[in-house]
Amino acid sequence: MAKKKNKPLIRPWCWYCEREFEDEKVLMQHQKAKHFKCGLCPRRLNTAGGLAVHIQQVHKLDADNLPRIDNALPGRDGYEIEIFGMEGIPAPDVADYKRRKEIELGLSAGSISQPPPKRAKTENRALTEDELRAQLEAHKALMGQGAGVDVNRGESTTSTSVYGAPAQAYSVPATPTPGTGGPTPPGYGAPPMGFPGQMPPMMPGSAPPFPPPFGMGMPPGGPPPGFPLPPFPPPGMMPPFPPGAPRPPFPPPPGMMPPGMSPPLPGPPGMGAPPPGMSPMGGPPMGPPGMSPPMGMSGMPPPGMAMGGLPPRPGPPPTPTFVPAQQSQGQQSSQPSQQPSQPESQGQAQGQETIPPLTLPNPSLKQKNPEFKKATELKWNDANFSPEERRSRCGRYWWAARGQSQVGGGGERGEEGRGKKRARAEDFL
Amino acid sequence: MAEYNDPSTTTTLPSPPFDSISSIRFHPTNPDLMLVSSWDTTVRYYDTGSASHAPEQKAKFDHRAAVLACAFNGAGDKAYSGGLDTGVRELDLAGERMTHLGTHADSVSAMTWSKNTNALVTGSWDRTLRFWDPRASSTDGGSAGALSSTTSTPERIYALDLVNHTLVVAMASRLFHIYDIRNMSVPAQQRESSLKYMTRSLAAMPSGEGYACASVEGRIAVEWFDPAPAVQERKYAFKCHRQTVGEVDHVWPVNALAFHPIYNTFASAGSDGTVSIWDHKVKKRLRQFPKYPAPVSAIAFNCDGSKLGVAASYTWDEGEEGAKAVGSAPWVGVRKVGEEGKPKGWTGN
Repeated sequence: MAKKKNKPLIRPWCWYCEREFEDEKVLMQHQKAKHFKCGLCPRRLNTAGGLAVHIQQVHKLDADNLPRIDNALPGRDGYEIEIFGMEGIPAPDVADYKRRKEIELGLSAGSISQPPPKRAKTENRALTEDELRAQLEAHKALMGQGAGVDVNRGESTTSTSVYGAPAQAYSVPATPTPGTGGPTPPGYGAPPMGFPGQMPPMMPGSAPPFPPPFGMGMPPGGPPPGFPLPPFPPPGMMPPFPPGAPRPPFPPPPGMMPPGMSPPLPGPPGMGAPPPGMSPMGGPPMGPPGMSPPMGMSGMPPPGMAMGGLPPRPGPPPTPTFVPAQQSQGQQSSQPSQQPSQPESQGQAQGQETIPPLTLPNPSLKQKNPEFKKATELKWNDANFSPEERRSRCGRYWWAARGQSQVGGGGERGEEGRGKKRARAEDFL
Repeated sequence: MAEYNDPSTTTTLPSPPFDSISSIRFHPTNPDLMLVSSWDTTVRYYDTGSASHAPEQKAKFDHRAAVLACAFNGAGDKAYSGGLDTGVRELDLAGERMTHLGTHADSVSAMTWSKNTNALVTGSWDRTLRFWDPRASSTDGGSAGALSSTTSTPERIYALDLVNHTLVVAMASRLFHIYDIRNMSVPAQQRESSLKYMTRSLAAMPSGEGYACASVEGRIAVEWFDPAPAVQERKYAFKCHRQTVGEVDHVWPVNALAFHPIYNTFASAGSDGTVSIWDHKVKKRLRQFPKYPAPVSAIAFNCDGSKLGVAASYTWDEGEEGAKAVGSAPWVGVRKVGEEGKPKGWTGN
């Protein structure tokens, strides 16, 4: 059961650039296109090893002289690790990724990376209609109060479900935090904190984990009660754990109130949206966390993440203001590159997929192979398209897709465009 | 039985293409020079060697996409190429330079040189035949003017061959058109293949009497140009490139046909990895060569009939999956042709 529930939470992702994909097929196309493409000729290989061999044998480069793998995160641009789709990813990296994913999605630590404890599950179940209603009420109440802000958040967060990307967008609305007024900096910090704050339970001694930035005055557990509610997007949206911080509007959910701080954050699940990112309802919860995660993710991955249980904390909160924080801070290489690259690569993946099927120019001439009188294995039994036509539609050979736009424009122009595009191929050998 | 690459009969060429070979063409006058176009996006120009010198790759022309067809010009100092990128190019064999002549609207699938009119004829999946005058382009330094005429056809062009002024065009949907290239406005004849399956290959008889064509269903038809009923009665077809395993007939496509320039016999190449030489007059097989390690994707006789160029490489019969399973790298070699190409009782015709 646990597995079933978890599976959908984490989508196939690329070890080289940490982008997520709809399914493994797309992922593998992405890897072929972005990471296993030979820089010296148009060839695309299936694996890093294949690419290495190709470059050595075809282009005669020394084994220790190979170009780094394209578009990869620092440290992941080598050939030593043989990645094929989701296969071959080093276990520590998987764990690390899951942990960051949890943060991003606003899930409790371990909900992805470790099979959720039975307890958590029962709790999820436990949310009956009544409870849901209560939560809804709470939610509405909150919405009513922090209206503008929260609404925005809700929406933007939804998109947040997409890894990383939207985080920024969302963050903008977050800043305004009307109610908060003065205490801006801390105010902001608080929410994220509050969130992570809930995790502490998981890591015992670490309660004061986010000492530096937040440390100031903010008890780990939750921001001082005095704190203005609205500013906390995360908690706000998730009635269930308003807890983290004493949020007035939230009637502590029945079963789990103080536990707000406790590990089982039923919140997201409670909303009825397992993959939080997916449903609008679910969305909100992740919103806030969404923001922090990126920071945390990119910033801390190598070090902290790999380790046992210190997921959430710190990374994110450190920055008082979300927006700037994210970008300016720790994101460094990974985060920024991911965000922009996402749309692009999706396009890419689609581009590959959009090889138009072969069509008969004159359907009235359509052929049908006659039946054989005796058992026969006809090696080519497509009556309408030749092996070469089929082959030309195979990704590796597909040409029109690449030149299509130009080709459409007419011979000469297309010619030039394509010339530039594949200039390197011409030098090949 | 001797191996396919037995050095006593066969010269294996160095630096073969990395991917399947789409066509082989020999130089019009030099019996040793050969062009090979490939799915690895290259056209390679080989000296196939002789008693006095070793074979070598003389030049390589990189393209932007797989190349499906190539041809020499009449003098043999230039060559032409076309493929998936839809462009038609002139290759300067000495200078190793490429000139773009123009484009089709879809992949260029076949081409041949017309000696008599000094024109290049190309066929494409865009359902057109195009004639090119490469000299017209050299004046303005490029691409404008080389295209001299375009003829629409009812189907995608799979193969074409030319003898004298007679152009035979094999198309999808088992259609054939026969043109007199001096009047391309209408086909001289329109035929449906006498074979029931997709046309795979075509070769015109050097004698100009007719042509042979083959289908994906291991069968070759010998046809005659003369529409007179008495002549048409002589046409026939026969099975080849198949094997019965247990109760099941395995039937391979016949990927290429090539007529011997002198003996009027012809060779056929199948996806079963075999090459056979046939005497179509007496309807007999003269010879079958030792099996090649992969489907034979292209064959060609040289100008004096002393050599047969053979390319063994995957022909996509099993799609992309099959490409992974293919165990051998593409191979190109040249086999000496002696008596085996000569009909029994050959008297010089």
